[in-house]
Amino acid sequence: MIELTHVSKSYNRGKVKAVDDLTLTVKPGEIFGFLGPNGAGKTTTIKLVVGLLRPDAGKIVVEGFDVATDGLRAKQVTTYVPDYPAVYERLTGLEYLNFIGDVYGVPKAERLDRIGKWLEIFELAPVVTNPIQSYSHGMKQKIVLAAALLPAPRVMVLDEPLVGLDPRAAHQIKEMFREHCEAGKTLFFSTHIMEVAEKLCDRIGIIHKGKLVACGTMEELKRIDRTEAGQSLEGIFLELTDT
Amino acid sequence: MSARGVGGLRKLGSVVRAGLRSNFGLATLKHRLLREKKDRWLVPLVGAAGLGVVPMFYGIILLIENVYLVLKPMGQERALLSFGILAGQILILLFGIYYVIAAFYFSRDLEFLIPLPLRPAEVMASKFAVIVINEYLTVAAVVLPVVITVGVLAHAGIGYWVNATLVYLALPVIPLAVVSLAVVAMMRFINISRKKDALILVGSLVLIGLSFALQLGIGRSAGNGGPGASAQSVAAFFTSPDSLLNKVGAVFPPGIWATKAIAGGFSGEGLANLALLLGVSLALFAGMVVVAEKLFYRGLVGLTETTGKKRRLTRDEMSRRVSSGRRAFAAIFEREWKIMNRTPIFLLNGVLVSVFVPAIFVLMATINAGGRGAAGRGGDPMVLLKAMASANPLVVVLGAALFMTICGSINGTASSTFSREGAQFWISRTIPVAPREQAAAKFLHSYLVATLGVVTASVVAVVFLHLSAAFLAPAVLLSLVAGVLLTAVGMMIDLARPLLDWTNPQKAIKQNLNVLLALFADVGILTAVFFGVKALIKAKLTTGAVLGVVAAGLAALAAASYAALLRFADKRYPAIE
Repeated sequence: MIELTHVSKSYNRGKVKAVDDLTLTVKPGEIFGFLGPNGAGKTTTIKLVVGLLRPDAGKIVVEGFDVATDGLRAKQVTTYVPDYPAVYERLTGLEYLNFIGDVYGVPKAERLDRIGKWLEIFELAPVVTNPIQSYSHGMKQKIVLAAALLPAPRVMVLDEPLVGLDPRAAHQIKEMFREHCEAGKTLFFSTHIMEVAEKLCDRIGIIHKGKLVACGTMEELKRIDRTEAGQSLEGIFLELTDT
Repeated sequence: MSARGVGGLRKLGSVVRAGLRSNFGLATLKHRLLREKKDRWLVPLVGAAGLGVVPMFYGIILLIENVYLVLKPMGQERALLSFGILAGQILILLFGIYYVIAAFYFSRDLEFLIPLPLRPAEVMASKFAVIVINEYLTVAAVVLPVVITVGVLAHAGIGYWVNATLVYLALPVIPLAVVSLAVVAMMRFINISRKKDALILVGSLVLIGLSFALQLGIGRSAGNGGPGASAQSVAAFFTSPDSLLNKVGAVFPPGIWATKAIAGGFSGEGLANLALLLGVSLALFAGMVVVAEKLFYRGLVGLTETTGKKRRLTRDEMSRRVSSGRRAFAAIFEREWKIMNRTPIFLLNGVLVSVFVPAIFVLMATINAGGRGAAGRGGDPMVLLKAMASANPLVVVLGAALFMTICGSINGTASSTFSREGAQFWISRTIPVAPREQAAAKFLHSYLVATLGVVTASVVAVVFLHLSAAFLAPAVLLSLVAGVLLTAVGMMIDLARPLLDWTNPQKAIKQNLNVLLALFADVGILTAVFFGVKALIKAKLTTGAVLGVVAAGLAALAAASYAALLRFADKRYPAIE
């Protein structure tokens, strides 16, 4: 579970308000899609949740742990996938997975099973002993995803996880999202792909100029605008972020 | 000039301007200082550090003045200029190898530059311009004090100053063009190999070795008065005007041209040598451009693509390779170690500096011994040291400890430890490992590199200076304790403001202001220790007591600085955005 209560974050000494009094709860077993135009505050919100940024005001709680005061325990139950796969290029894929397994304390038997599983799914098994430097952008994205799945975290936070992936890998990721949440875990991700959000998410939040302008299930969002345009997520998104 | 030519020059100008802005981070600096109003504390700090070196420069100028006054009656004063210029050119040659490899081949902006409608030579020329400007800053501290002091003392005319300015502007071109040609040729062949990183490392070491050899040649040429040089032969050598200058110039002629151009001013000799220097600079630059057009992209394109073999591990192999669960501390230490050692730029600028510095000392000792291999055969340095030891063993122990401490701490590994993570720092920020534990693992890594420097320096002290165990043991102990203090201080400086947005690994370590600030801090700490020792000697303490007090004081400071580092890590990690 992720709870944000009256969270605000600004840059340039308060001149640019990136997140403005955001209150939001993502429940266990839920896939939550976070939508918004460029610069709306999606990445800032995500970085606040995983502790990469500190809020100016408000409180963020992950699985009962306050990110500000109990950050280490919040991190122990969370993994994060950034929008750009900046990873240790001089390590091999397997060395990176080992590193993540070590710092999250994943026991060897589980580690072996999970590494084997995700390497096969992401088709990285033949290159796992090569330096990450030799991977394509998509392969780097996959190794970051495999590393985020390795600890089997209770909460996954992902920033544009489908960008750069081929259709097969994107399909597998969506399957993984579903599996993750069926196990009662929480998944919070940002995307620009309306179709994915519409089909995959249990609930969707739309952020615009730092404020949450809509939040709910697809059915709840459709009730905002009963015109024909308001019956698709794209129409709702365009309507709510028009200014 | 044709419209096409003007357009081409404009295009080149734009690329050079963009390169300069990006390299020196001018736009980012302006934004941070003026818009975000961050890092303003750096301005007084850098100012204070600048003021801090004023006494040092004053000392250097006094030294130059004294040497000038000694050389002038012998007609050798121009040799002083040539030494300053040569020292600058050797520095350019040595550092240029790092700069050229990093800027030409490992700079991330190349990914954007290559697809642009620019010729390979234009891209390379823009990179070359950035390095040249960097080198002006590098050699300013060496060349300017000599040129200015000599000019003032000689009451030089306008010709001296005009030529000096032109020579200074042209100074980096010849050594850098030579290095660039060698590097471009080297990379052309490295790129077809699968072991690129290893070859880059070996190639760089060979080039550095060659520049050392050149320096050795210059030193021997300048210092060698011939076999069995005596006071008389040295005196005879000095009585021939400009003999020293000619000896030096024989090994590296551009040094002699530059000296004669400056000293000659607007005279025929001055202008001829200036024309020679500028002409050769231009010719070499043009040669480099021609070679760049043919070879640059061939060496560059695909360089970062490492082609690993595709091979699926068996279940047994996978089981062996999957870690059975190390502590986070060990995992972070191993990550630091592997990334540092597998990144040629980091390895060259970090770990290998620990080996280079003692090697430079050996070189200097050999040169000072007049090329007679005296250091190895019980020559000058050892004699001097033995004389010092018999007079004051305390000086030997502290001097050796200082040498070992400098060799261990000058490498910049500690003061770039956070910066080196760059864009990957998000991993350290999101893993469930306490910042103090991460800092401790990084400390161990940096400290081991420092220890490597201490060990290499100890080998030099034993093999070349014949330092006995009685002196070696306390010196090693003191330097290891001081190493803790300097490593922790260096790490804290980097942690206060890590440089994470670099696009070129060189910037993370070689052009990182934190490394320079840590160096200033080290000088400050060692100066404080020096004055402390002076006070203890004045208080008439015995040698053993002085060493004991210094060791205890350093140990207390080391423990306090290590504890402060861990506390600072806990506080600072969450605040780095």
